Amino acid sequence: MSDNRLLVPVATSSTVRQTVEYAVRTALDGEGDGYVRFVYVHSPEVSDDRLDDQRESDVETISELLDRITVWAEEDAGDHAGELTVETDQIGANRYLFSPSDVGAALAETAAENDIGRVVLDPEYDPGVGSPLLRPLEVELTRLTEIPVEEAPVQRQVRRRPLVLRSSPLQAGTLVFVSFVFYQILGGTFDAFDLVTGAVSATIVGVSLARITFNHDPSIAWLGRLLRMVIYVPYLFVEIIKANVQVAAVILDPRLPIDPRLTQVNAAVWGSVPVTTLANSITLTPGTLTVRVEGRTLTVHTLVAGPREGLFDGGLERAVRFVFYGRSAMNMPTPRERGDTEVLQQPEDADTPTEEAVEADGGDQQ
Amino acid sequence: MVDVQSVAVIVLVGLGLFFTFVSTAGVLRLPDVYSRAHTASQADTLGAGFTLAAVALALGLETGSYKTVLLLFFIFVTNPTAAHAISRAAEEDGIEPWTTDDDRTDEELYRDSKVETDGGENE
Repeated sequence: MSDNRLLVPVATSSTVRQTVEYAVRTALDGEGDGYVRFVYVHSPEVSDDRLDDQRESDVETISELLDRITVWAEEDAGDHAGELTVETDQIGANRYLFSPSDVGAALAETAAENDIGRVVLDPEYDPGVGSPLLRPLEVELTRLTEIPVEEAPVQRQVRRRPLVLRSSPLQAGTLVFVSFVFYQILGGTFDAFDLVTGAVSATIVGVSLARITFNHDPSIAWLGRLLRMVIYVPYLFVEIIKANVQVAAVILDPRLPIDPRLTQVNAAVWGSVPVTTLANSITLTPGTLTVRVEGRTLTVHTLVAGPREGLFDGGLERAVRFVFYGRSAMNMPTPRERGDTEVLQQPEDADTPTEEAVEADGGDQQ
Repeated sequence: MVDVQSVAVIVLVGLGLFFTFVSTAGVLRLPDVYSRAHTASQADTLGAGFTLAAVALALGLETGSYKTVLLLFFIFVTNPTAAHAISRAAEEDGIEPWTTDDDRTDEELYRDSKVETDGGENE
């Protein structure tokens, strides 16, 4: 184990450039040849990234980052480039590194494989497994290995977060209004005391939390969505009642068998909020239960054939599209017509599962 | 004295009770964690829904009834989230959903899962 063999976990951060420089300097400091291994640790797949189908481009970005780091390191080595070996690597792409201890274990493994003498951490390093990572990661590495861990001394821009986060007046105003109304509903007396305390609390909430609540300015489209949501709720109610009756019949009548199957639907809605709305609506409807959401692929457990056909006919999906994209988006082919549906657990003794399901159903869903 | 409002309240409470009962029966009858999650959400949607509607109607137009609407709203947001979390945890634990082709006996299922037991009345 030699002191000038370094392991540096990297990610896109504001101080990665300085960390590279420090690592190269340290590696060249000692006797003999220096060796730096830059590793990119893949974070658990954050659903938002996957929604945008960014997996491919992610891989490119990571390779670019690592290439850039190699160039930087060679630049920093200058005349001593011959004495320095730079290698890059990606770890965790095929694993689910969930916590600082997982990342620590993966790094320790790489360190052991490559005879690493020291780990250098970028103070701003965060592979995205939960925000307060660096300290726990240092602790984990110290626990798992004998290798000394140090933080690269970098100059950071001190980021003082303002108490009042930057938000537009429109965002703050909307939130103040909503909070005020909510306060009054809960209070329910509408007398002077409630109005004054409500106004004060709503202002504090609105000004300080508007940036967390809104990503964008509330717009006319946003208001339209809200209004269409109001239309959507009764529709959802009707669906829930219909499915409830079907499922209740199956549960109470011993003659009606259940036919549980895992299915997969590629929903034609995009973005995290629409997908969440759809997934939750599916779960709310008895007979269908969203087991997993990956991007816009929903894995849905269906209890009986009726709701399953309803799911494949895409009534809820169409309604969610109506809420988020307006009336014009409603006229899309159903998931079944698009071929976006799949029964993951095919019945063993049926030729085509859909035929069997249609028979059982009577086809009156949707 | 029986007026229309009381009758409506009684009917709604009765419906709420009915769906809660169905949900309980379902949790006992259905074979595995996934299918039980279906029916558990029934109690929350229609069971709680009808009962809260009855409460709102009994209270009439005053602040209490707005609050029941809010309650219902929050139930409708949190209930599917919880059901999804449970089934997702089950899936990540590698629990295979039971199907009608599954001819394992209850004892085998229990040995495989070590988690769930079966009411044993299903086939």
